[in-house]
Amino acid sequence: MSIPDYMQCAEDHQTVLVVVQPVGIVPEDEFFRIYKRITSVAQVSIRDSQRNLYIRYRHHYLPENNEWGDFQTHRKVVGLISVTTCRSAKEWPQTSDRFHCQKDVFGATLYDSRLLVFGLQGEIAEQQRTDVAFYPSYDVCPDVEKRVEDFVESIFIVLETKRLDRATDKSGDKIPLLCVPFEKKDFVGLDTDSRHYKKRCQGRMRKHVGDLCLQAGMLQDALVHYHMAVELLRSVNDFLWLGAALEGLCSASVIFHYPGGTAGKASGREPSLAHGAQEVLIDAGALTANGISADTSSEIGRAKNCLGPEDIIEKYKEAISYYGKYKNAGVIELEACVKAVRVLAIQKRAMEASEFLQNAVYINLGQLSEEEKIQRYSILSELYHLIGFHRKSAFFKRVAAMQCVAPTIPEPGWRACYKLLLETLSGYSLCLDPKDFSKGSHRGWAAVQVRLLHELVYASRRMGNPGLSVRHLSFLLQTMLDLLSDKEKKEVTQSLENYTSKCPGGMEVLTLPDGLKLPPVPLSKLPIVRSVKLLDLPVSLRPHKQKGLLENNMSSKSPFIYSPIIMHTRGEERTKKIEFRWVQGDVCEVQLMVYNPMPFELRVEHMGLLTSGVEFEALPAALSLPAESGLYPVTLVGVPRTAGNINVNGYHTSVFGVTSDCLLDGLPSVRTSGCVVEVIPSLPRLQLSTSLPRSAHPLRPSKEELSSSVSVQLFNGETQQLIITLENIGSEDLETLEVTSKACNTKEKLFGEFLSWDLEEAVSQLPLKPGQSVTLTVNVKVRLDFSGGENLLQDLNDDGISVTGLPISSPLRQVLKPRAETKPLGSESSKTDYNHVKHLWLAITYAQQHTTSHPGPLDHSLSLYTYLLALLHNLEVFKGAEKGKPGQIIMNKY
Amino acid sequence: MLTRLKTQVPLFSMNSYTKLREKLKLSGLSFASTHSHVIRLGRHSRHNSKMAVCIAVIAKENYPLFIRSVPIQNELKFHYTVHTSLDVVEEKISAVGKAMADQRELYLGLLYPTEDYKVYGYVTNSKVKFVIVVDSSNTSLRDNEIRSMFRKLHNSFTDVMCNPFYNPGDTIQSKAFDSIVSAMMVQAS
Repeated sequence: MSIPDYMQCAEDHQTVLVVVQPVGIVPEDEFFRIYKRITSVAQVSIRDSQRNLYIRYRHHYLPENNEWGDFQTHRKVVGLISVTTCRSAKEWPQTSDRFHCQKDVFGATLYDSRLLVFGLQGEIAEQQRTDVAFYPSYDVCPDVEKRVEDFVESIFIVLETKRLDRATDKSGDKIPLLCVPFEKKDFVGLDTDSRHYKKRCQGRMRKHVGDLCLQAGMLQDALVHYHMAVELLRSVNDFLWLGAALEGLCSASVIFHYPGGTAGKASGREPSLAHGAQEVLIDAGALTANGISADTSSEIGRAKNCLGPEDIIEKYKEAISYYGKYKNAGVIELEACVKAVRVLAIQKRAMEASEFLQNAVYINLGQLSEEEKIQRYSILSELYHLIGFHRKSAFFKRVAAMQCVAPTIPEPGWRACYKLLLETLSGYSLCLDPKDFSKGSHRGWAAVQVRLLHELVYASRRMGNPGLSVRHLSFLLQTMLDLLSDKEKKEVTQSLENYTSKCPGGMEVLTLPDGLKLPPVPLSKLPIVRSVKLLDLPVSLRPHKQKGLLENNMSSKSPFIYSPIIMHTRGEERTKKIEFRWVQGDVCEVQLMVYNPMPFELRVEHMGLLTSGVEFEALPAALSLPAESGLYPVTLVGVPRTAGNINVNGYHTSVFGVTSDCLLDGLPSVRTSGCVVEVIPSLPRLQLSTSLPRSAHPLRPSKEELSSSVSVQLFNGETQQLIITLENIGSEDLETLEVTSKACNTKEKLFGEFLSWDLEEAVSQLPLKPGQSVTLTVNVKVRLDFSGGENLLQDLNDDGISVTGLPISSPLRQVLKPRAETKPLGSESSKTDYNHVKHLWLAITYAQQHTTSHPGPLDHSLSLYTYLLALLHNLEVFKGAEKGKPGQIIMNKY
Repeated sequence: MLTRLKTQVPLFSMNSYTKLREKLKLSGLSFASTHSHVIRLGRHSRHNSKMAVCIAVIAKENYPLFIRSVPIQNELKFHYTVHTSLDVVEEKISAVGKAMADQRELYLGLLYPTEDYKVYGYVTNSKVKFVIVVDSSNTSLRDNEIRSMFRKLHNSFTDVMCNPFYNPGDTIQSKAFDSIVSAMMVQAS
């Protein structure tokens, strides 16, 4: 006996073994359909005896295992059901012969057999035979179950006869010595008349009768027989059989204590029928009174016979230690260990169970084939799982996986290896969903997890699924990045690049054939993003809300003029709405602070923004971050194509051929100052040019205003024309235009109207279509009243208007030279003069009103935004410092 | 020899050590060289072993805070050994009822004997686990010595925790702790 049945459990001792086999050519699926129907008859209650017979079906059984049938009767094949196809009467004799051949294989132990013939009709099928059943086809066989039940009953009759036969053997008769296959030669030439030998025979037979009683459903009798067998065998030191007797005792006690079974699964045994064992106990007395078991002394109390839960384990230990003495009984020992573990698992005594398993690991069964090894490791893993040792279980499962691809195997089973490896994930507290990982609270045993991931990658590659490899590698890189050494980082990324060259990684969910889903792994750590900041538009393109229209909007929120209840809702805070607005059609920017954690240069391609709420055209950027870079600002741009509220919820990258969509929600480490911004419908854009030269000293009057400075030098009283050309460079029509002026200096007493213009002509050309331009003429006239004397000059000075040749600044006077002509500013010759020249700033505000033409779903107030374009004039006013008229200020031309 | 084995495999005292060995060798539990870290049941050269071959500190959430082993080339094997021993540790902790938790002894004793090593465990009241792996050929080591090693380890760990700059839950990088551990470890010869 070389191949252990790892699925065995203690209650299998009460079953009778029936082999179901196909004869000749039987389609596999048909056979298993019939097999399934046959196995549904797992338990038959016997008429008139209130006993149950349990049947264990096998479709494959080694004849050599059958030879151990005397040792433990549940290993003995007592029934054979053959399934065969027979098309015509001509084939029938041949089929019948085959059936008889098959019967001979298990011939010595068979109690009964049946042949199920499918497909045969006619004369032969008409005859009534007990051992053969004919069915026209695999589909038309309604009474298979009935047939099997009858068959089981006939087995029971034989079993019962055997039991009674053996049980009533009086010690006066010669008792044959039962033995296991490997013992046979040991007993050659032994004195068969010695007391020792006789006792041995008795003990073994007693044990055998115990087995039969157990199978026949007489638990109580079985216990008594086993007890007697133990006594007898102990006295003659027949260890192997003593072990078997003890195990039988354990099995019977387990069946008594745990009627639900120890196999974990229901294994076809219905719970209602599980009470059968107890019913038997109740009736046991009656049965003994009937004289069925004459030999058992009914005065021995039941409770005394049955082992307690503690004792069961003790006896199992003892039995196993006896088995351990025999090299050839390795399978028996192993199976006993497995059975004991299952019992302990039910008793929830994991520590002791682990001791049994530890022993089972060491049991040597001679040369195992690779499949047997895999099977053994898998079952060890399963049993460890059963007792709650998940890490141990994962360990053995992993060993089994490695065994599937051992180099000694000609065709390595990478698929099986991969499947087994996946099953170990939970034992290593690893979940392939990166979302679970980023929660942070759970941290596993990194070293073994990394190893496992590497193996998953390798196995998936070898089974020819680079997509899986990429997914696992990305996961490894994403979750274990901090734990990898520099060298490993390099290796991992290199292999990732290799794989992605064949199969680019994406964001889709991979589904394995067995239904397991591998969620996408966004590489949010390559590069690491620290903060996301939405940027306002450049000053020139910033929209301004038109005054006068925005107030009524504010008050509409509440019907009360005053309320002590502050109406603030949390939801609003959370939306993190930003003050400024973006404009549809304009390029909008988001600044990310990123850094590269890798020890080499990181190339990030197609880095773009992910948004929702508004149609958004992201313009991807490619960047290359130096090794272990510090924080690095990256600006991602895009153009909103529709209006509404845009939510920047993440970014998109492509690193090492893996494209990933990183959502900010999943990245708690990223700081943001709000991600929702309002996009307003597109506005017209104007370009402004003037006839005057640009100022050499551009001035920023304030941050809010856009300025374009031109300068002009004028004498008091002089007038000059300034032509302003406005070109519509946007894509929208310009519908309104307003011009206002404003002096930067606010001391209004100073100046009269410097600027005057006529808007009529320009307005008449509205609306301004894209590409068209309009000109506007502004007259600049300087009319300063210098009669106020020094005060004015002082004021002008204070205000930034410089008056050169000022009497109070007498030391400068000599320096001043008469000027020739009005010349454009910035020319070289006048450079020195500027030291003493200050500027008069005047601002002209052009207000372009745009009324949107599309009504849309937008708020009506939104349509009235204006650009503020400030045109600043650099106006220099010279005081004439004519000789001979000191102190008198005359503004005139030189 | 036999007495040691009794402590090692209390359940199967009938198994002689040699039988165990033989079984191991024959059971074919050896792996391809590529996976040699898994479990190598074959014999390999021994060091001049006196004390522990691997010492690990494991956080309450069962991830390693510190792990150090002697043969560097096969570090992962010890990771596996210690990792699987956590099953036994958890089982032992849960076996002691909640009511008894206060008086529970910190020392857990032998967790399980593997083919080459013996694994001992110790759990602090805050559920931080210490695991010491000892070469099973090392017969001179008494239970008392293991206990005292754990006590030393615990004291040193307490010092680490007292360090205001140590963030509980981070891996231990303390030099003092490291030197205590080194003193307990076998010097590979």
